[in-house]
Amino acid sequence: MTLRTVPLPGVPGLGGVYARGAGAAARLAIARRAGRAPAGLPDVAYEVRGVEVDPTHLTDYQHLLGEPASDVLPAGFVHVLAFPVATALMARTDFPLSLLGLVHLSNVVTQRRAVRLSEVLDVRAWAQDLRPHRAGTQVDLVTEVSVAGELVWSGVSTYLAKGVSPAESGGDAREEFVAPVPTGQWRLAGDVGRRYAAVSGDRNPIHLSKVSAKALGFPRAIAHGMYTAARALADVGAARGEAFVWSVEFAKPVLLPGTVTVRVAADDEGFAFTGWDAKRTRPYLTGTVRPL
Amino acid sequence: MSDTYLNLVNSGFTKKLAKQLGLPQPAPLRRYRPGQPLLEGPALVLGRGADADSVAGLLSTTWDLEVHRNATPDLRYAAVVVVLTEVTQPTDLSEPVLAAAGVLKSLARGGRVVTLSRTASADDAPAVAAARQGVDGLLRSLAKELRGGSTGNGIVLDAAVGVDAPSVVGALRFFLSTRSAFVDGQLLTVSSAAGTLPSSWERPLEGRVAVVTGAARGIGESIADTLARDGATVVAVDMPSAGEHLATVANRVRGTALQLDVTAEDAGERILEHALARHGRIDIVVHNAGITRDKLLANMTPEKWDPVLAVNIAAQLRINEALLTSGDFTDAPRIVSLASTSGIAGNRGQTNYAASKGGVIGMVRATAPLLEAFGGTANAVAPGFIETDMTARIPAVTRQVARRLNSLQQGGQPVDVAETVAFLASPAAGGVVGRVLRVCGQNMVGQ
Amino acid sequence: MAASKTTTPAAAPRALVLGGNRIPFARAGGKYAHASNQDMLTAALDGLVARYGLQGERIGEVAAGAVLKHSRDFNLTRETVLGSALSAETPAYDLQQACATGLETVVSLSNKIRLGQIESAVAGGVDTTSDAPIAVSDRLRRALLDLSRARSVGQKIAAASKIRPKDLAPATPRTSEPRTGLSMGEHQALTTAQWGITREAQDEIAFASHQNLAAAWAEGFFDDLVTPYRGQSQDGNLRADTSLEKLATLKPTFGLGLDTPATMTAGNSTPLTDGASTVLLGNDAWATAHGLTPLAVVVDAEAAAVDFVHGVDGLLMAGAFAVPRLLERNGLTLADFDYVEIHEAFASTVLTTLAAWESETFGRERLGLDGAFGTVDRARLNVHGSSLAAGHPFAATGGRIVATISKELHRRRAAEGRPVRALVSICAAGGLGLTAILEAA
Repeated sequence: MTLRTVPLPGVPGLGGVYARGAGAAARLAIARRAGRAPAGLPDVAYEVRGVEVDPTHLTDYQHLLGEPASDVLPAGFVHVLAFPVATALMARTDFPLSLLGLVHLSNVVTQRRAVRLSEVLDVRAWAQDLRPHRAGTQVDLVTEVSVAGELVWSGVSTYLAKGVSPAESGGDAREEFVAPVPTGQWRLAGDVGRRYAAVSGDRNPIHLSKVSAKALGFPRAIAHGMYTAARALADVGAARGEAFVWSVEFAKPVLLPGTVTVRVAADDEGFAFTGWDAKRTRPYLTGTVRPL
Repeated sequence: MSDTYLNLVNSGFTKKLAKQLGLPQPAPLRRYRPGQPLLEGPALVLGRGADADSVAGLLSTTWDLEVHRNATPDLRYAAVVVVLTEVTQPTDLSEPVLAAAGVLKSLARGGRVVTLSRTASADDAPAVAAARQGVDGLLRSLAKELRGGSTGNGIVLDAAVGVDAPSVVGALRFFLSTRSAFVDGQLLTVSSAAGTLPSSWERPLEGRVAVVTGAARGIGESIADTLARDGATVVAVDMPSAGEHLATVANRVRGTALQLDVTAEDAGERILEHALARHGRIDIVVHNAGITRDKLLANMTPEKWDPVLAVNIAAQLRINEALLTSGDFTDAPRIVSLASTSGIAGNRGQTNYAASKGGVIGMVRATAPLLEAFGGTANAVAPGFIETDMTARIPAVTRQVARRLNSLQQGGQPVDVAETVAFLASPAAGGVVGRVLRVCGQNMVGQ
Repeated sequence: MAASKTTTPAAAPRALVLGGNRIPFARAGGKYAHASNQDMLTAALDGLVARYGLQGERIGEVAAGAVLKHSRDFNLTRETVLGSALSAETPAYDLQQACATGLETVVSLSNKIRLGQIESAVAGGVDTTSDAPIAVSDRLRRALLDLSRARSVGQKIAAASKIRPKDLAPATPRTSEPRTGLSMGEHQALTTAQWGITREAQDEIAFASHQNLAAAWAEGFFDDLVTPYRGQSQDGNLRADTSLEKLATLKPTFGLGLDTPATMTAGNSTPLTDGASTVLLGNDAWATAHGLTPLAVVVDAEAAAVDFVHGVDGLLMAGAFAVPRLLERNGLTLADFDYVEIHEAFASTVLTTLAAWESETFGRERLGLDGAFGTVDRARLNVHGSSLAAGHPFAATGGRIVATISKELHRRRAAEGRPVRALVSICAAGGLGLTAILEAA
């Protein structure tokens, strides 16, 4: 499939995107009932050129995630900058899945080199690989960030739309979780969702408050998956180097406030991390950081 | 500690009222401050003979005082020195004593009467002994008649001790000065011409290293302050548990603190080791540490008896033995030990304390001869009612009564005891050996 | 003569421990509840001055620190000196290396003495958990700072409007490791489980600590090491009457979430404590001039750190690495030490350190040795008790240990007339460990 590049004048604000996404969801529901739901992914790639970084925004992000406030953009911060472009794509009326209610299953970021505060970024995002999942349908949102034509960062975010089954259902059975020896714990306060929303722009109501989360079927607000993944990346620290692949799979949402017991430790290929609920011995997230 | 009564009868309306009611009117006592003149007015030296002339010369020439040899009626004398060393029969007392009588009414507030006489002994001719011993009764009675904070004290010279002996000179200066503010009605015997006059009367202890036990608080604290003021380097000793106050005292006097239980077996060695290592010498030891555990003897227990004897006397004996056998306590050393009027006159409920304090008196008497070869002395100071934390705990009425039971009609201050200790520790006091000097305002009990 | 300008390097001066003074350590919220760090450090320093007659003395340098420090105490040590009986012309600086602060002040000042930069020094440390600094929340702090920088009314309103009621709640100092979110006890519980340290072994260490400290107090050993303060004349945490039976009844407090049984209790962990300590240091000439008897020589020191963040080693295990390096450099083995002082952050800290040294695997894989590093004779370990009994006012512990063991070294040497050595190891937050060799002077 060849993609048609649609340039956007700037990175969309996520609040507006969610509003449009909600509108799109309603239209999609009507279309689906009418048997006119789009079967494939939109054949467009959104592109935003000339993205500049606000130093205060960067500092706020670094402080919240426990990253040193250096001029190097943490891989998770690049995600925060670039991902609204992908989200805008998901809010399109011809996107086959409803933005609201999408579950972030996994995320793989490839950081090719250190990106610095002074660099001007070009962002390109598209969706690909719509495929079945045992619980519904999943799709990859790909985001690429370049500096003067050089690809410096790319991310693949995999989302699940529950219950929307395109054809057959996949059958990846889950392995039983064995808690490793912890190296630390994150005590996440009730406002962690709001604070990450403030630096990421992702104001999905499921993260903001108990009331807004309940409306969408969660008992309490849940932490952003990328917040927990970025905490793990910060815990790896300087040892991750400047070029690496940062992969994470999200198993269970973290209800706020809550405590995530973690192990972030070196393994043979780099670093591996696990975050879990020590009381119920259930994993929240697992991942790796591998040098490139 | 403040004496509210004393303050009331010396100010405003209450002063007038007390006078009209005929209540005791204690006078505020003037205390010593460095730089203070020895006397605030002329001195009258009475008596005939070479001794009297010598004393008059000392006061006028050496000490630069205004000295009269004949009483000028109604002149406010600051001091009257009655030299009676040459009396040979009781009738010899008549002329000088009556001359003194004529000026007593106009004696300045805080005035001083000092007698110099000789020891009456069995070897004397009866008339000589009678005359000499008569001075004793005379002085004690005279002191009781003085008002306005004035005191009367006597210096008693043993045979062969001249009026120019350092200790006679030193004692005379002590009794004339405000250093002896609360010493009253006492006779101090000078046994020998030992001792040396200081180059400075302001800092007689310059270059001397003094150890003071029980130095964290009260009288001991004041002794540390006073010895340091007089030039001594002070090792302040007290129980480890009193360390916080001890450190404050040591830092104030720029000395060193030694936290030590004086009853420890090796207390003497540790004192010696500390003083010698830190200060290179040890000259003065003031045994001030003491405790009370009052109980009527009928109810006495070992828990109340034993510690009092252990701290108040046994520890002193043990420390003295270490000092005496060390070979390092030989340069005109001084031991000054704190006795008590209880140890002299006895006190109900204080058999243990009185036994220990009586013991102190016996101890210094027997220790002094051991030190004489080195020009050393051992003496005791017996405080009467002193305003301290300890006496502040006495019930109010009892305390008020206790305060007035002396010729000065008030309690003494810790510094009064300290000044007396400092005098006995001074180089000039080398001829005062094995004596007890009371600091009691001439308490009615005992001698 | 111009030639006199040429300096002939003399033999390096020795850095000597000449004495020490601390205030008794008090349990948090006890007699020092309202005393500040500066109050307590001043009391300890003034007690030292009193003991050694240093009134008005210009000391080469005073270094001290506190782990929990108010912002107003930015110049804590100098302010303490100014309020003490020392000369106001005595320079001072603050130093902080978590629980190793006190020992690091000894080490760094000793180095200055050995370099000939100073002749005398006072090392020290203080901490209060009763008067801990309470800060405003980050949001309130930023809003207040913005407000103070605002020029126009509009800017001021904008800054002030950012303050939310919940921002007004005070922020207490963190008690957990910033990078792991685990408290020190939780970290040590992991290490305890990793090394399979039993509850009984930990309680025995705690019991010995109380017994040894109580014996030292009873003997009067601390008479010239401690000056009472605020009515506290003995270490408030000391339980002379404790027993293994009593310790065995305590409920575990750390390691509750682990698969292995929890073994760490309030009895075999140090309590929160308030206190201050000082150590007097000097070279031989200064000691002689001041009539002070050298107690011990500060021979050498070594710091180490471990990567506990990624679970490579236990948080409090750095001493296990520092000591082998230190001993190697000095050509010594554990057997060459008459005394071994391992700070009892927890009883199991001591035990995991000893276990690591006794482990063949640890020796080979982590220390790069041919086998196990060695064994410490328990009779030489913390002979006058340590932090479990005395308590642990973080920065004050180093001074307590150095002064105590230096006195013991001197006493032993005087009795036996042979070289006597002590090894000191103190673990600290952040995976730090500081170790030192002292030898009787």
